[in-house]
Amino acid sequence: MFLTFLVQLKINNLVYKQGGLEIHKSLKDLSLVIFIKMGPQLPIGSFLAGGIGVELIYSFIIIVCGLMIYFSTKEMDKLTSYEGIKYFRLSFLFFALAYFFRYFIQFFLFSFNLKGILEFSPMFFGAISLLIFLYFSSMALFFLLYSVVWKKWDHSRLTITLFNLFSLIIAFASIFIGGRLIYLIINLILLLIVLSILVIAHKNSKKKPKTGSPFIIYLLLSIFWILNITDVLIPKFLSIYQLFVYLVSIALFMIILYKVLKKTGN
Amino acid sequence: MEKRVKRGKLEIMRDIIFIIREHKNLIKPTPLLRKSNLSSTRFQEYFSELKDKGFVRETEEKKNKFVSLTDKGFKFLERYQTIIGFIDEFEL
Repeated sequence: MFLTFLVQLKINNLVYKQGGLEIHKSLKDLSLVIFIKMGPQLPIGSFLAGGIGVELIYSFIIIVCGLMIYFSTKEMDKLTSYEGIKYFRLSFLFFALAYFFRYFIQFFLFSFNLKGILEFSPMFFGAISLLIFLYFSSMALFFLLYSVVWKKWDHSRLTITLFNLFSLIIAFASIFIGGRLIYLIINLILLLIVLSILVIAHKNSKKKPKTGSPFIIYLLLSIFWILNITDVLIPKFLSIYQLFVYLVSIALFMIILYKVLKKTGN
Repeated sequence: MEKRVKRGKLEIMRDIIFIIREHKNLIKPTPLLRKSNLSSTRFQEYFSELKDKGFVRETEEKKNKFVSLTDKGFKFLERYQTIIGFIDEFEL
């Protein structure tokens, strides 16, 4: 009888070597899925039972919300080429992409029996998807900020280049420098940048504050998204509050999606 | 004296399109420039953008140039309030 096992490893304080590639200590908190293939196919049920089910549903909701916001504002962007709309929708596309790379790639590889790639080098694959996740997450946050403050910042090309640069630094530093303290410092710096830009933009805003101002939603979304990143990098750090972080993040995305659909008339 | 608020890019585009529509969708460039309340340089900038985006088209009849709206131009006018509402809602 053929059997297929799913083994989820949390690597602690170990440096692994595989196929000549040295895996850095920074990957110690990364949950890795290692397949011990003894049979042809792994049922999806086993995958969900592996503790990834909740996160997969969460990722799916975030991806759907992000893509719905992106596509429902497409017509407006095409008609106006308005910078604010462009960066707003790009931000949600990047949120969706970040979560796609976080879980769905692993899920698809699993489901469609493309295990060979993971067998070849699971840690390398995990590091790449984490790198892409961190890059897209940071870009999403920066674009969300830029959609609010673009009128005050003249050099859009320079700003976008700086955003890309910062996001790449955050992603590579998280992968190659590693360590919980480094992760926390990186996220704290990111949070401080995001919050200070949002608060300054809100203070300088000439518009009178009205009920349901998006400022609070953006602020909360930024905080909870950084908690999401922390959760990926240091799973144990937020393990008790993980579900709470997921639920609040979903609620914030749903509120924004509702407002977008209401305003676009879709 | 009431201080005039500077029009935004979208508002100027809307105004130009609105003027064309109000003239039964056929107007010469010179009266359009006059009615749009812009300098000729600024008008040329916006007019070129409107043409590039496919909101307006230029036609020639008996050696006279005319400007008219395309379907996309009508759609922009129709969706303008929604777009402005969206921008305000999200403080973009």
